[in-house]
Amino acid sequence: MAAGFKTVEPLEYYRRFLKENCRPDGRELGEFRTTTVNIGSISTADGSALVKLGNTTVICGVKAEFAAPPTDAPDKGYVVPNVDLPPLCSSKFRSGPPGEEAQVASQFIADVIENSQIIQKEDLCISPGKLPEVTINEETALAEVNLKKKNYLNIRTHPVATSFAVFDDTLLIVDPTGEEEHLATGTLTIVMDEEGKLCCLHKPGGSGLTGAKLQDCMSRAVTRHKEVKKLMDEVIKSMKPK
Amino acid sequence: MPGDHRRIRGPEESQPPQLYAADEGEAPAARDPTRLRPVYARAGLLSQAKGSAYLEAGGTKVLCAVSGPRQVEGGERGGGPAGAGGEAPAALRGRLLCDFRRAPFAGRRRRAPPGGGEERELALALQEALEPAVRLGRYPRAQLEVSALLLEDGGSALAAALTAAALALADAGVEMYDLVVGCGLSRAPEPAPTWLLDPTRLEEERAAAGLTVALMPVLNQVAGLLGSGEGGPTESWAEAVRLGLEGCQRLYPVLQQCLVRAARRRGAAASP
Repeated sequence: MAAGFKTVEPLEYYRRFLKENCRPDGRELGEFRTTTVNIGSISTADGSALVKLGNTTVICGVKAEFAAPPTDAPDKGYVVPNVDLPPLCSSKFRSGPPGEEAQVASQFIADVIENSQIIQKEDLCISPGKLPEVTINEETALAEVNLKKKNYLNIRTHPVATSFAVFDDTLLIVDPTGEEEHLATGTLTIVMDEEGKLCCLHKPGGSGLTGAKLQDCMSRAVTRHKEVKKLMDEVIKSMKPK
Repeated sequence: MPGDHRRIRGPEESQPPQLYAADEGEAPAARDPTRLRPVYARAGLLSQAKGSAYLEAGGTKVLCAVSGPRQVEGGERGGGPAGAGGEAPAALRGRLLCDFRRAPFAGRRRRAPPGGGEERELALALQEALEPAVRLGRYPRAQLEVSALLLEDGGSALAAALTAAALALADAGVEMYDLVVGCGLSRAPEPAPTWLLDPTRLEEERAAAGLTVALMPVLNQVAGLLGSGEGGPTESWAEAVRLGLEGCQRLYPVLQQCLVRAARRRGAAASP
């Protein structure tokens, strides 16, 4: 009977849970889903990572190549991020050129990299003549021409993103699932840096938020950053140096 | 890519470091030509897809998902004789739409997303091999979408994709006559031209010829065959096909177990 109600009136069904300050999957309003991180699974990529947040799974690979630098910045390299949302992930996506969501996500990642200065493009320069390009990024290893000897890329910061959803213009929930995002009246993503600096804030339309609520979101993002940073440190430590 | 404003663009030309590297000189180790790499198969891992499967064989990792049946745009009128077993007439039969994608980090060289001809050829090969196994007559005016994503290419990618696709279809509950099992082969170059079963990436790169066979194990019928290269005399090709079919038969029990486990997991999740 509950399943029928859920199909016919998904918003009402959801509101009933929110009134009790919890969600259908049993989480509190401010609770995150289990996060798992795994690195180095794809051996053909120079670096790879697999991250699972509840049911959302993302795999990321990095490949480095040589390219001539742009004429207006002869000592910089390129970082080329691209997000691909294949029809595998959800029935919303069709095969073919990247749709709107994929393009928005790619641009978002490009902005985060740019703003947080994860990788200084100057680091990517081998000599003001040739330097490598990276497509789709995260953890990396930089290859010199001697393939046996690889250097790790200098990662300056570790930005972590936290997402929120706004319901009925007032209620704020953390880490929404796909269904919750669909029913929400607004979504918000905050990317925080290590020193508590804001890298990027993404709020595509939706209901407005007061300043106080925004501050609350940012403080939650800072706590989340600490948790995720701990996880990443563990994973990187367990990685055997090649 | 000129004019591709949907993706963030890098520099116009870029070369992989392998071009400049000193030659590796890694020759693939000698091995038993009939050995199959251990396979890890798991069905039912994507919550949003109707059916899904993940297959890992040596270094090759493939993920496949099935969605549908969905209504085909542009309905067709009926007509023509009805098929056996009360199925819809030929004009009303369902369609299988296959999509094969290679992740840009899957191979040695970065492959930009619009993969061009190769991906389409492999998608067509997938469709041709899966069609004989699926009872499309039971899904009139509908289409089933199968999408395969190659995460890492460690050799015999098409064979792994075929097997994963068949597992995903079975996991989705699509009516099938039988599973389709794929097996790859490659012929080492002179001076010792033998056919090797389930080649690794290194063996495939140095091969003179390659072959992928798809078999329906219980019915013992070949569902698909795709080969190219200089294979030598015809007897050599016939021997290769036989070797491939044996390999497929050996793989079948693993896939059966995988499906049983997936069904048990689904049953356990549904009961409380």
